[in-house]
Amino acid sequence: MDKATSGSLVRSHCVGTTAVVYASDYLNKLTGEKIERECRRQLDCGCRALVIDFSDTKLVNSIGVSILLGIIDVAEKSGARIVFSEVNNQTVQLFEMLGLTRHVALAKDEREALHTISGFETSPTVN
Amino acid sequence: MSTGSSSENFRRVLGRVAPPDFVGRTDELQRIMAHAEPTNAGRGLLLLMEPSAGVSELLRQAYDRIFSQRTEVIPIYFAFTRNETTAVSAAIEFLNTFLQQYIAYRRDEPSVSHATLTLQELLELALPADHEWIEQLVDSYTRLRFSNDDKALVRFCLGAPQRIPPGRGRALIMLDGAQLAEYLNGTVVLGSEVLRVFGRGGFTFVLAGLRRQILEAAHDAECNFELLDMLRLRQLDAKDATLLIEHVAQRQQVTTSEAARDLLVQQFAGSPFFISIFLQAAREKRVALNSYLDCERLYVDELFGGHLHRHFADLVEEISPRLEARHLLIRLLWEAAVGEDQISSFEVWRKRLHMSTGELEEVLHRLHVHEFVNWDGTTVEAATGPQAWKDYLKIRYRLDVLGEPRALVVADALADALKRAPHTMARHYKQSARVSLRELVSAFNCQRVPSVLFDYGSFSRKYKGLEPDRVNSDLDAETEFFKLPQTVHLASCVAFNSDMRQVCEDERCLVAHTFEEGTYSDAQEVVWLIADVESKLEVDIEEARVWYERLESLAASLSFSRFQVWLIANEGFSDEAGSLLSRRKAFASSRQQLELLASRISETPVNPVVHSGEANEFLMVVPMGEDNELIAANTAEQIAKRLTFRPEAINQIKTAVVEACINAFEHSFSPDRKIYQRFRVESDRLVVTISSRGVVPTNLNGASSRPDTSEAAEERRGWGLKLIRTLMDEVEFERVDEGTSLRMTKYIRDTSS
Repeated sequence: MDKATSGSLVRSHCVGTTAVVYASDYLNKLTGEKIERECRRQLDCGCRALVIDFSDTKLVNSIGVSILLGIIDVAEKSGARIVFSEVNNQTVQLFEMLGLTRHVALAKDEREALHTISGFETSPTVN
Repeated sequence: MSTGSSSENFRRVLGRVAPPDFVGRTDELQRIMAHAEPTNAGRGLLLLMEPSAGVSELLRQAYDRIFSQRTEVIPIYFAFTRNETTAVSAAIEFLNTFLQQYIAYRRDEPSVSHATLTLQELLELALPADHEWIEQLVDSYTRLRFSNDDKALVRFCLGAPQRIPPGRGRALIMLDGAQLAEYLNGTVVLGSEVLRVFGRGGFTFVLAGLRRQILEAAHDAECNFELLDMLRLRQLDAKDATLLIEHVAQRQQVTTSEAARDLLVQQFAGSPFFISIFLQAAREKRVALNSYLDCERLYVDELFGGHLHRHFADLVEEISPRLEARHLLIRLLWEAAVGEDQISSFEVWRKRLHMSTGELEEVLHRLHVHEFVNWDGTTVEAATGPQAWKDYLKIRYRLDVLGEPRALVVADALADALKRAPHTMARHYKQSARVSLRELVSAFNCQRVPSVLFDYGSFSRKYKGLEPDRVNSDLDAETEFFKLPQTVHLASCVAFNSDMRQVCEDERCLVAHTFEEGTYSDAQEVVWLIADVESKLEVDIEEARVWYERLESLAASLSFSRFQVWLIANEGFSDEAGSLLSRRKAFASSRQQLELLASRISETPVNPVVHSGEANEFLMVVPMGEDNELIAANTAEQIAKRLTFRPEAINQIKTAVVEACINAFEHSFSPDRKIYQRFRVESDRLVVTISSRGVVPTNLNGASSRPDTSEAAEERRGWGLKLIRTLMDEVEFERVDEGTSLRMTKYIRDTSS
């Protein structure tokens, strides 16, 4: 596994062509934009999938959610897969309320997320 | 209501009644007493009196109380009277009164206030400490008196209280009957001079006079309004007026029955002046007032030749001194009052009265000041004034203009008064028995009330026949609410269209200008057109249609773009009438619904005041930015944990608080960059209020949100409000003049988000 930091204090690492990006304890505009920048950087570096890990995240606000939707848009346009991992129940509820779960898969933890990504990669593409 | 003295040292000096007999002006008396406090030194208090509301005894009572207190404040009471004919003579009388009352106070001898004394005699009575300055004052006066400068003399006399040397007391000047100062002859206009001298600072004074005249005179004299306070003096309410009659009748040894007292209260509309002179007449003529007939006989006598007659005759003579013009004026006033078109132009009046423009302006100004007409410079409305004035006018018209036999006019006047008395009382009893529509609608201020109170059909189906307790408890469980608007202006529909007088009483058809959510924008402005329809049975479809169309037509004629019709009827509306009103989106309520609405509005706290001292309330102010919303969220969490909220609910509250804070700093352009938070713990709920100063974002007042319509990131903003509404049980914007205040409630019993 390659460990990498963006220099913007967002922790991330790569597993093959999958980048795992760690969200902080409070996902707001500032921290959301940092995650977005890190995700874009990883995609620019050739990553084909993204896992955003929320294991440290206790609170997400609506601006943070809107930025996550932006990240999903960017990933889709790049043809990259995206999975959110270890999202707590309250945040899941919030994502559901705002329709985020329609656009992204949720995984219990990082391991399951990576497994899900690999499943995407072996599945045939249906046009 | 009695305003008896609490001091054992109280002495009657100028008061004509003992303090226990002075009723109904407790608040006003306290206000004048407060004006004598050192904090109000150098300030003026304008007593704006409704015609015939009576003010003289109020000022005399204030005088006696201040006199008895023996502080540094020296009360001076001066009444302008019709005895003075020129400004100079009135000003000299003022100087004399001032010195007399000053010396009486300094010597602590009330009798000096009443004695007839020359200036030289007053000088001899002055205390040695005051002798020198009073002597100088008298010398200066004597020199000026024989000069030809009237204006200088008037100003000197009025300004005399300012010559009191430091340490010899501070005068509180109370001037009574300022309107009379206008009518004095001579080259000096005393009314203006009084305000010019007193209203420009330095004096502590109370100036009482007719409300329309005083304000205008203060403006004309270019008074410093920062140094002026105002107190409005209206007629007594029914309870105080009844008490006044009881006291005066006892003092005057006039026997009265309860029915007669009630009639007099209504007939004189609570006027202390009319009541007092009427009972004085009863004493003079040794008449007992036990029946309507007793009252009306005396009333008619009074109108034809008693105190009432003299009062109105003096006023009319002052207003229009020339006899010929006076007859024409009485004719025009009466014909305008009873004619179809009560509003006519200035030009029509000028032609009918054969007056020059200047002369008519003078007459109309005086009529307007006494509220016998409403004159706006262009049009004149004549159907105003108390009932006694209208009766006097009619009598004079028939006697002086038509030349009818006096006996016939007397008989008719008596018969009319007797026939009117039961109607007057019936109207009063009806008004007393029912909820005041005006009070109810004026109390609209964004309260949430069950919607069913505005829908007679639904109310009838759900609640008709139930016990009152059951109705109340079931209403508590209603889930559909209607948020009342905020009423900013309320008037009778007659004030908008005098034709409406033909179909309803003034107070039963109202026009209320309101704003939804208390937000002052075009989009939120709604005019409510409200009619209390007279009907003993359910109102049928035809009558409902007539009333709806009548109000709709009024709205159209007044160009009200958004309006809400609300019809009220004692017994509600027939099914067909209800359907018609429902189709036209009109509200319909029965008397029972109205009363329930009134009780709910009176129970609902509006914009609860922040009591920081309350044990169950927490206040916090945080600067915007720096993730400070987390501080608010953590505070909410700590408070919620003290209650029995589930962890999930606590998280929902935290998220809602975060969103509310973000909304505040994202949208408000707040000038102080602060978020004000209030957490109120109640037995079954937590109420969180997040406020900020600044502009009110347009997207916040409606329930709509934008997330489903666009995927652009910027447009995803605005989800906050949707989230808050989802996470909390109740979300409301409170009315604030500047910025927003969002109140969010979470109930403990709540089991879902």
